[in-house]
Amino acid sequence: MIELQSVRKEYKGGIVALDGVDLKLLEGELVVLRGVSGSGKSSILSLIAGLSKPTTGEVIVDKKRISKLADHFSTLYRRENIGFIFQKYNLIPTLSVQENILLPLVPQNLPKKELESRLQRELINFNIESKRDVMVRNLSGGEQQRCAIARANINNPKIILADEPTANLDEKLSLEFIKLIKEMKSQSRTIVIATHDPLFFDLACVDRVITVKNGKLL
Amino acid sequence: MTKGFNFYLLEYTFKHIIRNGFKNLFLTVVMTLLVALLASTFFLSNALKLEYTKKIQNTPDIIITDTKAMRETLIDENLVSDLLSINGVSLALPRVYGAYYFSKADTIFKVIGVDEFETYPDKSLNALLLKNTLDENSMLVSKSVAKILKENYYDSYFNFVNADGTLKKVIIDKTFESKNSFREEYLIVMPKCTAKEIFSYPSSMVTDIAVMVANGEEIGFIAKKIETLLPNAKVNIKEDLLVEYENRINFKSGFFLTIFIISFFTYFVIIYDKISGLSSEEKREVGILKAIGWRVSDILNAKLYEGLIISLSAYVIGIIIAFIYVYILGAPLLKSIFLNAISLLDDCELLFRVDYETLALLFFLSVPLYIAATIIPSWSVATHEADEVMR
Ligand SMILES: Nc1ncnc2c1ncn2[C@@H]1O[C@H](COP(=O)(O)OP(=O)(O)OP(=O)(O)O)[C@@H](O)[C@H]1O
Ligand SMILES: [Mg+2]
Repeated sequence: MIELQSVRKEYKGGIVALDGVDLKLLEGELVVLRGVSGSGKSSILSLIAGLSKPTTGEVIVDKKRISKLADHFSTLYRRENIGFIFQKYNLIPTLSVQENILLPLVPQNLPKKELESRLQRELINFNIESKRDVMVRNLSGGEQQRCAIARANINNPKIILADEPTANLDEKLSLEFIKLIKEMKSQSRTIVIATHDPLFFDLACVDRVITVKNGKLL
Repeated sequence: MTKGFNFYLLEYTFKHIIRNGFKNLFLTVVMTLLVALLASTFFLSNALKLEYTKKIQNTPDIIITDTKAMRETLIDENLVSDLLSINGVSLALPRVYGAYYFSKADTIFKVIGVDEFETYPDKSLNALLLKNTLDENSMLVSKSVAKILKENYYDSYFNFVNADGTLKKVIIDKTFESKNSFREEYLIVMPKCTAKEIFSYPSSMVTDIAVMVANGEEIGFIAKKIETLLPNAKVNIKEDLLVEYENRINFKSGFFLTIFIISFFTYFVIIYDKISGLSSEEKREVGILKAIGWRVSDILNAKLYEGLIISLSAYVIGIIIAFIYVYILGAPLLKSIFLNAISLLDDCELLFRVDYETLALLFFLSVPLYIAATIIPSWSVATHEADEVMR
């Protein structure tokens, strides 16, 4: 389903974030990428999401060469396939919960009814219906995260990518997040979580834990 | 996938403008004021030009006066026959007119002397004379003059004090509308001989000689001929007057220049601020939008709407303000600044005319430029890897 072939990622200034990464993920698999800060976890997620392109090597998703797509098409690919839960949530603080969740749908010009039903589904799924009209910057950390997940989910993506999802959460909220992940897995989505939170390392639902170190997979 | 106009995008844009409320409001207000200021100036100068053009339409092609010791003086009406002998001159008309000061009412009347069977360059004067015949020692007065005379107990006649101190009784024959195209409210029309008596002109002398030329393109040529024929005369050409006025109204005055420099400087500061880049918050927002599946074109469309909404509303409101200020309120302040430079047009009303050039000029300066300045920085951010933008 997702394949990285001898990927090398070099940033401006000659920083090598990834070097010779080969990775194959199956459909419906839940994979955890572990590693210390700066090891290259986020870089892998960015490549899978088409947010950046490998310096050399290939990223292939569903037989499509993501790494070769022009900007316009990689955006469409992302819109149709990827739900990204960002490290810092990347919500727009001055918009309401509802507006943030619906933001990915704005360019798609869907009928109002469709928007409303999808929104309702996500609000209930992630238990933030009561905060629907609250501005995001007034939410607690856990609420912000649920909002971010709801936004990632609004397009029914086949692939969910989560970057340090529990970094800003206490243990109770972290466990709640794991519950949500399990639910998404049960809908046979492919899920990749980048984290150094030990909580994820021996969960029953996790199919594989892959260690990233200095831009290489161990 | 996209069908028809995307109102969600427009809605997002509106919210975005409101979220950045203060800055956008400030920009809109400043732009509005700039448009209003420049439009008012243009409207006013064009209205004055129009006014002047109208005024000059009724002016003869060439006006000749005599000069003595560098000053314009009366001219001998017998020169008319010499003038008529010049090829191309279709009319040479000795004119008698002048200002009469009525001290009791502290008012200046304009007195014009006419002769029967004369045609005048001034169309409305001709029309007036066609309707009325004038006897010696009688006059036609405008309603404003009649009113003032009545207030001073002159119901049917008026005693002029002649320039030589003697009295002259003139009968009021008829009155005519004060609001006339002579643009002279206090106008009196009487036979030439009566007028000459009031101003105490020597018998063959007149105020000036008006010359009409059959072919408009020959005016300059004929004026030169007259100058050689009458070396003492001062020859005024209609075009010269027009050019002189245009130069004065046009962009030569320092006031104009100051307004332009201030406006353009302010405007370019705004544009420069827009173009020089997005705030880190705005950059992040662009990155987020891209990361969650907005195409570059979606982001640029939103920016296009943003620029359009702000600049177009500034433009429309600015133009409306200028319209009201100039044509309805009569451009107080600004008009007095102008009229100081052009004291001859002291009492003119501002004629309304849709001034397409000004509208278009200001539109192209404000709307497309502002939109471009809104789009360009977002475009440069949006075309970078979304990954980098959010870091
Ligand atoms: N846009 C960028 N420009 C320059 N250097 C970058 C960029 N993105 C990442 N890097 C560098 O690449 C390396 C890998 O970064 P990456 O974010 O993938 O690590 P990470 O494992 O996610 O770390 P963390 O746990 O801190 O999030 C780091 O040294 C980082 O500084
Ligand atoms: Mg990271």
